[in-house]
Amino acid sequence: MDSSPTGNVRETGSPATPPARPTPPARPARRAALPLAGFNGRMMAPGLLLLAAVSLLPLAAVIAMSFARVHLLGGLRLEGVGAENWARLFTDPDMAWAWVRTAVYFVLTVGGEMALGTALAVCLWRLRRGRNAALSLLLLPMFVAPVIVGLLGRFLTDSTFGLYTWLLRQLGYNGDVMADQTSAFAAVTLMDIWEWTPLVALIALAGLTTVPSSALEAASLDGAGLPRTLRHIVLPSIAPVLLVALLIRSMDALRYFDIIWNTTGGGPANATKTASVQLYETAFRFFDFGYAAVTGLLMLAVTTVVARYFVRLLERKEPAR
Amino acid sequence: MSSRLSAGPPKPAMSRRALLRGAAAAGSAGVLAGCAGRPDAHLDADAAPWKRYAGTTLNFISENTAPTAAIAADLRPFTELTGIRVNIVTLELSALAQKVALDFASGNGEYDVVYADPYLVLAPYAAAFADLREFQEDPALPRLPGGFGDFIPAHLDTAGRFGDSGKVLALPYDCPTMVWQYRADLFEEYGERMADDLGFDPTPSDNSTWEQYHAIAKWFNSHAHQVRYGTGHQAKQHDALMCDFSNVLWSYDGSYFADGTRVGRFGTTDPGKCLLRSDAAVAGAEFYDRLLRVADPASRTWDWDGLGAAFRSGRIAMCPNWHEYAAANETALPGKVGYARLPKGPARSAGMYGGTGIAVSNVVSARRRRAAWLFANWATAPKTQVSNLASKVGGGTPTRASVYAVPRVVEAEQRPSKMPNMLTAEAVKAAWKDANLGLRPKIPMWGECDTAIYTELSRMFAGEVSPGGAMRAAADRIDRITARGWVN
Repeated sequence: MDSSPTGNVRETGSPATPPARPTPPARPARRAALPLAGFNGRMMAPGLLLLAAVSLLPLAAVIAMSFARVHLLGGLRLEGVGAENWARLFTDPDMAWAWVRTAVYFVLTVGGEMALGTALAVCLWRLRRGRNAALSLLLLPMFVAPVIVGLLGRFLTDSTFGLYTWLLRQLGYNGDVMADQTSAFAAVTLMDIWEWTPLVALIALAGLTTVPSSALEAASLDGAGLPRTLRHIVLPSIAPVLLVALLIRSMDALRYFDIIWNTTGGGPANATKTASVQLYETAFRFFDFGYAAVTGLLMLAVTTVVARYFVRLLERKEPAR
Repeated sequence: MSSRLSAGPPKPAMSRRALLRGAAAAGSAGVLAGCAGRPDAHLDADAAPWKRYAGTTLNFISENTAPTAAIAADLRPFTELTGIRVNIVTLELSALAQKVALDFASGNGEYDVVYADPYLVLAPYAAAFADLREFQEDPALPRLPGGFGDFIPAHLDTAGRFGDSGKVLALPYDCPTMVWQYRADLFEEYGERMADDLGFDPTPSDNSTWEQYHAIAKWFNSHAHQVRYGTGHQAKQHDALMCDFSNVLWSYDGSYFADGTRVGRFGTTDPGKCLLRSDAAVAGAEFYDRLLRVADPASRTWDWDGLGAAFRSGRIAMCPNWHEYAAANETALPGKVGYARLPKGPARSAGMYGGTGIAVSNVVSARRRRAAWLFANWATAPKTQVSNLASKVGGGTPTRASVYAVPRVVEAEQRPSKMPNMLTAEAVKAAWKDANLGLRPKIPMWGECDTAIYTELSRMFAGEVSPGGAMRAAADRIDRITARGWVN
C-alpha cells in the first residue's frame, strides 16, 4: 500500500527498486535452545506435563483400545484384535448413515446460527435504546444447559401436554413433531439453533463495535445504503470474528449429543441418530469400547480437519502485521 | 507501638513458600485419601446375626423404580434391626448399567448391593456377583424367611439366575409385568353397543384376542367422545418398543431364538441363530404394524412413561403397559381402570415380564458381602414387601408367593384398596403362568440386540421397510451381534 500526495489510497505493484533496508548487526552464533530450557521452560513445565497427562495419555489409550477387545470384568484388560475394529468401521452402514446425518445437521445448525446470529447482532448494533436489555434477553438461552434444553423440548412437543404441540394444532398441524422423521430432525436442529444463536450474536456484536466509525460515516456520505454498507464495509470488517464463532460452533455441532438423547434418543427410524449418539450407544449401551474407540478417533480426525480449515481461513483473513 | 514500627515491615504470619508447601501437602493428602479403598465392614463376631455388621455403611445402586422409592423412604427399620446405614443411589437404567460396569472394571467395589437388571447387568456381568446360596447356608447369617422357595419360581429363575450353574445371583426384588389396562367405565358405557357393532363381547377376558383388541380400538376411535383414540402403545425408538412388540410376537408363536423359554428364563451366552425371519414372526410384525395404524399416532413418541401419562390424561381407552402403573392410574382415574391379562394371538397370550433382582457384588470384600446380604435379605423379606405395597411413595408388587396369601393383601385386590397395585393381582398372576409368561432373551449382548429390534420396528412404522423386511433386517443384525460374542 502507498499513499499518494492527494491522500487517496492506491495499490502499488512491486517497486522497481526495493527500499534499502538497514543491515542488522551481526549476532553471535547461538546454540539451538531446548524448548523447555531456562526459567520460562521450568515455569511452563508443570502445566505442559499436566496437559500431556490429560490429553496425550488418554489419546494413546484410545488408540490402543481401537486395536483391541476391551474386557471390563476383573479389571480393564485389552485383547489385541489387529485392525478388526477399523475394518468394521468401513463396512458398517449404520455408521455411514450416522455421518451423513451429522453432516446435514452440521450444515443446518452452523449455517442457521451464523446467519441468524449475525442478523440479530446487526439489529442490536443499530438499536439506539434498550440495547443492553435486549442483549440480556437474547443471551438467556445459551445459559441453559443443553440437557435441560432437550428436556424442555421434549415437554414442549409432547403430544399430550406440550405447549408447542397445542400451538401447532391451532395452526392446523395435527401431526406429532417427534413421531415423523423430518419434523423430529427439524425439531432437534431448531433446539440447537435456539440455544446457540445468541453466542454467535454476542461474538458478532463484539466485532461490530470495532468497525471504524470513520469508514461508516464515509460510506454514509457517499450515499451507500444499509445493504451495501453491510456487504462492503461491515461484513468484511467482522469476518475474522465471525470465523472464530464459526470455529467454536463447528466443534460443538460435530459433538452434538445432549438434546438428541433427551428428546428422540436417535429416533424415529434413526432419523436423528448422529455420529456422537452412535458413539455413545456403542460405548455405554453395548460396552463395545474397541469399536467405540475407532468411532471416537474418527470424530477427532474430522473435528481436527474442520478446525484446521477454519483456522487457516482465519489466518488468511487476519491483517498482515 | 513505636517499637513495632521501628522493627521494619511486618512479616506475614506464614511465608508464601510455606503456604504453597501446605497447600501442596493438603492437596496430596486429599488425592491419596480419594485413592484409598473403602473401609471394610465392621464386625462384631459375638453379636446376634442381624447385628454383627453394625456400624457399616453400604451403598445400594438401583434404577429409579417405585420399590426402591418405597425402600428409601423407610430405611429406619433396617437400620434399627442391623445398625447398618444404607446409601441409595437411584439412576435411570442405562446410567445404572454404565456405573456398575465401570465399577467392576475399576475394581473399586463402590456398590455393595446392585439392582441387577437380568438383561443389562446380570447376564453381562454374572461372574461379578456373589452366589447367594453361600449366605443362605451360612449359620452365622440370618436365613431368608421362607427360603428361596418362597419366591415365585419364574421370578427367581429369570431375575435371580444366569445359565445352568444353579447359582442364585440375585433375589427377586420387583416384578413389573405387562397387562391390558383399560377404561372400565367406558367399556361399561359402550359395551352393549360395541357388542352389537362388532359381534363379540368386548369385555377384556382370557378369551379376548389381539384381532378383537384391534377391532375395539378402531371402534373407540370413531364412537367414544371421552377419548381421542382407542389404543395407545409405547412405540418410541426405545427399549419400550421392543417390550410392546414382543407381546404380540410371542402370541403369534414368534420367538427371538430357539428354545426361547430356556434362553429367556435361565439365559445363555450362545443363543444360536435368530428366528425373527420365521413366518410366525413376520405375521406378528404385520399385525403389530396394522395395530399401530389404528393407535394414537403419538404412540411413536411414547415410552412406557409417556404412554402411562397419556392413559391417565384420558386420551386413550386402553393400552398394554406395566402393571406397576396401577397406583398412578388409581390416583388419576379412581375406580375407572380395569386390568386383564393381555389378549391372545393364534398361539397364546404373552405378557412381558420385566422383573429385576438385587445382587451382592463380588468386587467388595467378603465382610462387606455378608453385610450386603443382610440388606438384600431384609429388602426382599415378606414383611418389607407388605410394607412397600402400602407405601405412600408408590412401592412395587411382591415377588414372594407368601405375600399374596396375606389376608390384608388379598383384601386389597378389590376396591376400595389401600394397596392399589394389588388391583392388578389377578391379571399378573395369570401372566406369570408358564404358558403365558413372556421372557425376552437373557443374553449378555441383549442391549445391542434390543437396539437392533426397536430400530427396525421404528423403520417399519416410518414406512422404510415392510414388516417382513424389518424382521429380516433385525435378524441379520442380531446374528452379526451374537456371532461377535460377548467380550466382557
